[in-house]
Parts: sequence; structure tokens; C-alpha cells
Amino acid sequence: MSDATKVAAAASSRDPAVGLAAVASLRGLLESLEELQVSNARSQGWSWQQIAEALHVSRQAVHKKYRRYGF
Amino acid sequence: MFERFTGEARQVVVEAQEEARTRAADEIRTEHLLAAIYIVRDNLALAVLDELGVEEADVLRDIDRLHAGSPRALDAEALSSIGIDLDEVRRQVEEAFGPGALDRTRAALGGRSGGLFGHIPFEGPSKKALELSLREALHLGHDHIGAEHILLGLVHTEGGAAHHVLAARGVRLEPARAVVEKLVRQRKAAG
Repeated sequence: MSDATKVAAAASSRDPAVGLAAVASLRGLLESLEELQVSNARSQGWSWQQIAEALHVSRQAVHKKYRRYGF
Repeated sequence: MFERFTGEARQVVVEAQEEARTRAADEIRTEHLLAAIYIVRDNLALAVLDELGVEEADVLRDIDRLHAGSPRALDAEALSSIGIDLDEVRRQVEEAFGPGALDRTRAALGGRSGGLFGHIPFEGPSKKALELSLREALHLGHDHIGAEHILLGLVHTEGGAAHHVLAARGVRLEPARAVVEKLVRQRKAAG
């Protein structure tokens, strides 16, 4: 089973406790990974515009979210 | 509002901030103030709790439990149910970014507003508890606000977790007030 299929399977889990806990943890993991990658990109000289394009979000959104961290 | 706080009471407020930071909370909550009373040690609030038969270990364990279900903690079991091996993700991330990288992000430490060094705001019930500590002192005719009045403020503030932790150990406002009144009187007589 591919990862995407597994995600789809759990997302449709009939037990809300399992499904929701998985979604919550996935969101937490996503936030941590995004922060690490944005920080790394900035320290390698990437512009906010480049980072935004890679993340498929607007430059304003990514800048607003991370500038306060001093990246 | 902190002018009339004793050195002890100020220390409780400072330690509460430290407690919130240690627990990766984005606000200083009433349970952090309660835990701080135990960190500061020598204070009248501890004598009051002692007199009321409240065990330190029970209170601290209850406070720990409040934080146990933190939504920010990554749940390895839940992630494995969707085919994600958290240990493997952590291993790969640490290979690229160093030991502890995944668990040291601001997202993992809990909060966009908190961070490691930033100012942590008081949540509503904490502010209320500190305001009520002033009112409790006035009510008892005391001209200072000590740790014991902060304790009364915490018991008084029903919207805060500290109220419920203490209520579960049998602490009620009126008897607690009576003990504070007695101990302050005794201390004055002795000093």
C-alpha cells in the first residue's frame, strides 16, 4: 500500500479517537518540519519569494509567519 | 498592582513565568502560579497548605497531569496508524539538522507567542487570581500581599485549573482564609 493510500485509509478511520489523534500529530510534525526547512533555506540565502514558491503559498503568508523568529 | 507584593510573592510570580516556560506553555496559567509556590519554598502559603492537610506530591502530580495531554506532543502511535514512523522521521531530521532538531523547533516547544526567551503573557484566570489576591489581603485587613494571599486568589478563581486541583484536595475558600488569618496573626505576634 502506498503512503498516500495509507493516509487516506487512516483519514477515513471509523474510530474518531485514532483518526483525529493522527491528524493532530501530523499537523504538529508538519509545523516542525516547515520551520526547520524555512530556517535552513533562509540561512542558505533563499529569498522569502523563493521559499513561498516552493511551499506553494504567498510570500506575505510565509514572511508573516516566520519573520518574528528572525530567520 | 505589584507594589504591595512581598519579595516572596514577587518571587512566586517570577517562578510562575519560569514554570510556564519549562512546560512550554504559551501563557502563565494558574497551575503555574501554584507550582511556583512550591518552588519558592519558605512561604506562608506552604504553611497554609500544610495545615489544610494538602500533600505537595499530590498537587504536583495533578499539575503534571494537566499538561500530559498537550496537543503539541507528537503521538508516535497515532502517526504509525497512518504509516508514518516518527522515530525514522526524527532520525532523518537529526541527520540533516543535528541532535534534537525536531523537538527543538518553536512549533514543538509550544507556541508562536512564547518561544524560549520571549515574554509569556498571563492568561485571564491568572490575572484574575492575582487581582483577587489583592482583594483577599484587603478583606483580611493585611497591608501586604504575600504568597498566602496569592494562594487565596488561586482558590477563589474558579475559572483556573489551580482552583480545581486544590478543590480536589479538599481546599475551600473560607477555611483557607481562616488559616491565613491565623498564621499571619501568629507570625506578627512572634515577630
